Amino acid sequence: MKWGVSMPNEIWILAEQQDGKVKKIVLELLSAAIDFSKKTGQEVSALLLGSGLGESVKNLSPFADKIYLLDDPSLIPYTSDLFLTSIASLVKEHQPSILLGGATSTGKDLFPRLAMHLQTGYVPDCTGLSMGEDGKLTAMRPLFGGKVFAEMAFSGAGPQMATVRNNTFLVNDKPDRTAKVISVSPQIDPATIKKTVTGFEKAAGAKLDITEADIVVAAGRGIKAPENFKIMEDLADAINASVGTTRATVDEGWRDLKDQIGKSGKNISAKLYMAFGISGAIHHVLGIGTCKTVVAVDKDPNALIFNYADYGIVGDLFQIVPALTEELKKVLSTE
Amino acid sequence: MEIYVLVKQVPDPEAIVKVKSDLELEIENKYFTSFFDEIAVEAGLKLKEKFGGKVTVLTVDNRKVDALRRGISMGADDAVQIADPALEGSDQFAIARTLSAYLKDKPFDLILTGRQAMDDDAGIVGPAVAECLGIPHVHSIIGLEVDDQKREAKVVREVENGKEHLMCPLPALFTCQKGLNTPRIPLVMNVMKAMKTQIKKIDLASLGLSQEDVGSQAVRVKVQRYLPPPKRPSVKMIKEDFPDNVKTLVKLLREEAKVI
Amino acid sequence: MAIDFTFTEEQEFFRQTVRDAVNRLIMPRVKELDEKEEFPWDLWKDFAGLGYLGLRHKEQYGGMETDTLMQMIFYEELARGSCGFSMSATMQILMGTYFIARFGNEEMKQRVLVPAIRGEKIGTICFTEDQSGSDLGGTRTLATKVDGGWRINGRKQWITNGPIAEFATVMTTVDPKLGLKGLNFFLVEKKTPQRDGFVPGQKLHKLGSRCSVTGELVLDNVFVPDENLLGEEVGKGVQYAGEILNEVRVMTGMNALAISKEAMEDAKQYANNRIAFGNPISKFQLIREKFAKFWAWYEASRTFLYRCAWMIQSNIPCTNECMLAKYHATEMCMVAVEEAMRIYGGNAFCSEYPVQRFWRDAKFLLYGGGTHEVLCDYLGRMYCKD
Repeated sequence: MKWGVSMPNEIWILAEQQDGKVKKIVLELLSAAIDFSKKTGQEVSALLLGSGLGESVKNLSPFADKIYLLDDPSLIPYTSDLFLTSIASLVKEHQPSILLGGATSTGKDLFPRLAMHLQTGYVPDCTGLSMGEDGKLTAMRPLFGGKVFAEMAFSGAGPQMATVRNNTFLVNDKPDRTAKVISVSPQIDPATIKKTVTGFEKAAGAKLDITEADIVVAAGRGIKAPENFKIMEDLADAINASVGTTRATVDEGWRDLKDQIGKSGKNISAKLYMAFGISGAIHHVLGIGTCKTVVAVDKDPNALIFNYADYGIVGDLFQIVPALTEELKKVLSTE
Repeated sequence: MEIYVLVKQVPDPEAIVKVKSDLELEIENKYFTSFFDEIAVEAGLKLKEKFGGKVTVLTVDNRKVDALRRGISMGADDAVQIADPALEGSDQFAIARTLSAYLKDKPFDLILTGRQAMDDDAGIVGPAVAECLGIPHVHSIIGLEVDDQKREAKVVREVENGKEHLMCPLPALFTCQKGLNTPRIPLVMNVMKAMKTQIKKIDLASLGLSQEDVGSQAVRVKVQRYLPPPKRPSVKMIKEDFPDNVKTLVKLLREEAKVI
Repeated sequence: MAIDFTFTEEQEFFRQTVRDAVNRLIMPRVKELDEKEEFPWDLWKDFAGLGYLGLRHKEQYGGMETDTLMQMIFYEELARGSCGFSMSATMQILMGTYFIARFGNEEMKQRVLVPAIRGEKIGTICFTEDQSGSDLGGTRTLATKVDGGWRINGRKQWITNGPIAEFATVMTTVDPKLGLKGLNFFLVEKKTPQRDGFVPGQKLHKLGSRCSVTGELVLDNVFVPDENLLGEEVGKGVQYAGEILNEVRVMTGMNALAISKEAMEDAKQYANNRIAFGNPISKFQLIREKFAKFWAWYEASRTFLYRCAWMIQSNIPCTNECMLAKYHATEMCMVAVEEAMRIYGGNAFCSEYPVQRFWRDAKFLLYGGGTHEVLCDYLGRMYCKD
C-alpha cells in the first residue's frame, strides 16, 4: 500500500442499535475492521442512525475512527425507506470501500435493497471475511443451508457490501481508538416514507434471540411435553443462554417458531450450543454448522447428532439437564 | 387483486450437495419448490379467495418449470417462465432486474416471494425487485392483512426480540416467512390441470433487456471457490457414569473449550 | 428405438406432488398409525379431500381418469408412508369400487360410487372365506335366486376395511359344485334398519399393516335386488375378477418397492452412522453386499413392474408377467426387510427403530393377489407346458 498516494476509502460498519444500545455484532464487525485496517491503513467508521444515541456513541467510540451520527426521531424504529435514502446519499458522498452490517432482521431487510440502489456487490449472511493487501474482501458464506460453502470475491466499483453472522469475529477486548463524531443531518424526505411501524410485540422473557445469544441450549421432541421445557429454561437462566428447539416441537405447537433452529427456522452461530434429546435430523444440524462448540446429549448412542458434536453424553436428558444446571450454578458461583 | 408470486425450483432439502471442483457443485437430482415460495403462493391464493382477482406465478429459469406447475396446482391462475440462454450465470441482482423488467408495466397490487430461496439462501431478489420497481417492501413477514379499499396492508415482520407491526401502502412487495400460513396440498384435479398447462415463455429481447444486463458478465460478486463445510474434530464421548459425566462436561467446557 | 424407459416431465411432476402430499400428511404419523391400530378417519378425510380416491374413475362421478402408469406411480409413492393406510386407500380406489363402476346402474353409482370417491362411504371387496382364498373355486358363500333378487348366505374373512365398510363387492357362488364356473359378484350394503345387508364381524389384530382395519363380514340371508348382480350374465365372476387382478398384482408390487426402499434407505443411514470396530458398519464387506444385492433386485423389480403397468395400459395380455412381477417384487421385499433387520443388529428387535415395522408390514404383501405357493405352482405349470 503506497501511503500518501491514494489512501483507500473507509470501512463502514452499520451500527445497529436497540433501545440506545449498540448490538454486539457491531462491535464484532468493528473489531474485524480494525484488524483489516492494520493491513490497508483504512479508516474505520461506524454509521449510527437513530435518536438519543449518547450511550451508543460511548459504546462505539473506542472501536472506530469516525462515527457518522444521523440523529433524528423519525429514524426510530427502523424502516428501510428512510435508512436507505439516508445511507445511500452518505455513501455517494464519501464513497466508502466497504460497508458491512449484521445478518440481522434489519441487515437482511436493508442491505439487498441498498446494494441494488447503489448498483454494487453484496454478499449476504457471511460466516467469514478476510481482507487482501489490495483492500479487496473475500467473503465466506454457506449455501444450501450449510451443505457447502462459497468463497466470494467482489468485482467492479462501489462499496463491497456484506452482512455477517453473529460470533464470526471476536470483540476486541482492548479497543484503543477514539472516534471523531461527525453529525450528519439525515435526508428526511416525507415523500419517501411509505411504511409506518404501528406496533411492536416484545417476545416473552428477557432472553436474547437465538441468533444473537452466545449460548443456546435446545431440546426436541425428546422432552415429551411442552411444560418440560421448564428444565431447559432453568439451565438457560444459569448460564445466560437462550432456548432453541427443533421443527417437530414447533409443528406440535409446543414452542414458538422464532426459537426453531434449522433449515426452515434459523441458523445460529453460538459460541456454545447444547442439544438435548435431539436426534440430529439434517434440517436441524445444518442450522448449527457454524456454532463454535457443540454438546450433544441423547439416550440413543447412534443418534446422528453425535456426528456433529464436540462433546457427547449418552444419557437421559431428564437426568442430565437438572444436574448440569446445578453443577454450572455451583462452579459459576465460586468465581 | 392482481398478485404476482416469484417462485423458484431448488434442490430438495434432502438432496446431497457436494463440491465437485473449485467452481463446480454436484447436486443430486431431487428438486422441489422452495418452501418459502410456497408460503408466498398460499398467501396470494388466500387474498384472491377474499378479494377476487388473479394470482400469477413467475420464475426465471432456463430449464425447470416445476415451481410454476406447483403454483398452478395449488390454485394460481397463470404461469410465466422467463428463459434465455444469456441468463446463464446471472447473479441475484440480474434476476431481480429481469423480473422487474417483466413486472414494470403489469397492473400489480402485490408481489410476494419467499424470504429466501432454499439453494443460495441469499434473500436478495425480493428486496432488489422492490427497489427496481420503486415500491416499498417488507422482508420476512409472518402476518398479512390487506385492506383493498384503502389499498394498504398490515404486515407483521419477525425481528430479533419480537414482532413488528407495520402499515404499508400497496402496491408493495413482501417476502414470506414460515408462520405466515401453511401451504395447501394441491388437489389432484389441479395437479392434472397443472400438468397440462401451457407455460408462457418470455425471452430477454421481449423484455427490452440485452445480454450485458444479465449473465456472468454482469455479476459484481463471484464465486472464487466452493468448499465443503468446515469439519468438526470427531466427537469426544464422555463415558463416565452419571453424575460424573456432568461434572466432566462442565470441566471440559470451562478448561478445554473455554466457552463458559 | 422402440424402447424408452424414461418418465415424462408430467409423470415426474405428478410423482413429486404425491410424494410431497405423503410427506406432509402421512409421514409424520407413521409410528402413531402403526401403534394405535385404528383407522385414521381424520387422515382419510384430508386425503380423500385431495381427490386421490377418484384416480381411476370417470370424471362425471368425480374421478380423474388417469392412466395405469399414473396410478402405479401413485401407489408406489403412497406406500412409502403407511402400508396400512395404503391398503385401505388402494382397496377404495381399485378393488372396492371397480365392479360398481363397471356394472352398476346410474342410481347405484350416484348412491355408492360418488360418495366413495369423496371418501364418505368406504368400500371393500370380499373374496376370502375360511376354506377359500387363493382357491376361488372353493367359494361357499351362496347366492340363491328369489323373486326380484337374490338371497346371500355366508361369511367372508380377512376383509380389508371390513369393520368400517358401508358397501362391499361380494364374491358368491350359485352352486359350490360348479367351482370357478359358478362365481358372481354382488353389491351388498351394510345392514341398516331400512335395508337388508351385511353385518361386520370381529376386527382382527394383525402383525403389520395395522391402521387398515380388517375383519369378517357376515351375510345372513341378505336380500339384494337383481340390479346388484355385478356382471352381464351369471357365472362370469372369475372372468371379471381377472380384469383387475393384473392391476392388483402390479399395485401390490408397487407396495413392495416402496417398503423395501424405505427399509433399506433407513438401514443405509444406520449403517453409515453406526460405529463398530472403529468404523461405520457400511465399510464392512458383508454389510455392503446386503446393499448391493438389494439394489440389483430392486432395480430389476421396478423395471419389470413398470413394464407390466405399461402392458396393462397398452392392452397387451400380461397375466403371467403381472404374476411374475408381483412374485418377484414381494420376495425381493422380504429379503430387503430381512437384511435391513440384520443391518440393525439387536436394535432391530425394539420398537424404537422403524425397521421392525417395515418387516411386519412387508409380510402382508405375500397374500394379496394369491399366495406365492399357488402363484408359483401355476407359473411353473405354465412354463413347463409344451
